Amino acid sequence: MELLNPEIAAANIGPLFAGLVMTIELTFVVILLSLVFALLVALGGMSRFRPLRWLVKAYIEAIRGTPLLLQLIYIYYVLPEIGIRLNSFVAGVIALTLNYSAYLSEVYRGGIQAISKGQHDAAAALGMTSGLAMRRIILPQAVRIVIPALGNYFIALFKDTALCSVISIQEVVFTAQIIAARNFQYFTLYTIVGIMYFTVSFPAARLVGYLERRMRAGYRRKLR
Amino acid sequence: MTDAPSMIEIEGLHKHFGSLHVLRGIDLRVAKGEVICIIGPSGSGKSTLLRCINHLEVAEAGRIRIDGQTVYRDEVNGSMRSHSNRAISAVRAQVGMVFQQFNLFPHLTVIGNIIEAPVHVLRRPKDEARRRALELLAQVGLSDKVDAYPEELSGGQQQRAAIARALAMDPKAMLFDEATSALDPELVAEVLTVMRDLASRGMTMVVVTHEMNFARQVAARVIFMDHGQIVEEGEPRAIFGAPREPRTREFLRTVLDR
Repeated sequence: MELLNPEIAAANIGPLFAGLVMTIELTFVVILLSLVFALLVALGGMSRFRPLRWLVKAYIEAIRGTPLLLQLIYIYYVLPEIGIRLNSFVAGVIALTLNYSAYLSEVYRGGIQAISKGQHDAAAALGMTSGLAMRRIILPQAVRIVIPALGNYFIALFKDTALCSVISIQEVVFTAQIIAARNFQYFTLYTIVGIMYFTVSFPAARLVGYLERRMRAGYRRKLR
Repeated sequence: MTDAPSMIEIEGLHKHFGSLHVLRGIDLRVAKGEVICIIGPSGSGKSTLLRCINHLEVAEAGRIRIDGQTVYRDEVNGSMRSHSNRAISAVRAQVGMVFQQFNLFPHLTVIGNIIEAPVHVLRRPKDEARRRALELLAQVGLSDKVDAYPEELSGGQQQRAAIARALAMDPKAMLFDEATSALDPELVAEVLTVMRDLASRGMTMVVVTHEMNFARQVAARVIFMDHGQIVEEGEPRAIFGAPREPRTREFLRTVLDR
């Protein structure tokens, strides 16, 4: 058995890097979609309209009660049987967005509920409708509170995109699998893949830590 | 009582919190430009009454008129029907409220707090709202804190900013809910000074307070509440000098003897 082989590494770094780019692309598309969708889910879950609340609850429980891997497989392989045929990237984006939005909506909900009643009272007393108060007063404060938690979820998402290899999205793990099937250089290939994930995740985690400290510092004028 | 037209009229107001009957038939009339202080032991329903006036609490029975108009709900074909949320918000925009805990918006600067509702509720142009805000900040003595965030201010400064925020809506009346109770003793005076100044400018004010000296000096009328009812009301001289009701005497003895 040969350990990390520089020639193999050099020969395959190009395709692996292309795979990493796909991983990052997938991550960003899902981040953008789930940031918006999760907020809608969170607001729906707090709606005065009871059927909407039930629908949201059912969706969240269904997602939380089943594995992400199954959700991916389901959307890619089972939906075509009822006539919904999606390409693998779209299927991956939908599955990941649905999955992460369920969790992120709970994060948003927590953030919104953390805002004191006094803020609602003050906004109402100034003649703001509840929608305006939500948009201008409650959400800006809630979003700030949940930024670190969202960041941690997005780092987890970045790594979870690896599951999309089972529906043959050409992200970095899938790319490594294809190459390894030809040359059997598991050690070299998967070590490189691991290093790639880490070089993105680690700085991202540090950034989240920084944002968390910034948040705890409260609202102040920018010094300097 | 004055003959001036009414700003706030309350008839037969009842409110429960669960099985607790916190307002038991309140009738109260506040004339335009009048300053009334509501005093009473904690749990007597003073704050709840104030919160009912701008519908932060919903009373089960009774009627509230503001500037001659019945607000929050109407009798339609013999049954009470609530106004739409939008109509309720429109009435609230005309009544300023100042809270015990200030409740400034922490993510906005002082001036941001003040122009928020004029710009987004009254749809005033931003520069006009800013101009008015700067005038009000001068009035409450905060011209040097325009761009500060609430967290950077003392409690007294926060409360003065909150008063300016309420005034920016050009309210017909101002409600003060124990506005100085959360303040350190040395910061109470600066807020009372602003309130006294506001009273002298002719603002209609309903002030729930534990500051008996303020009530004595500024109020045209003092209301003593206990157990959800108005027990006694009258000029400060009468209430503080010669209270008729035993419960009023008892209360004043405990608070004034401190």
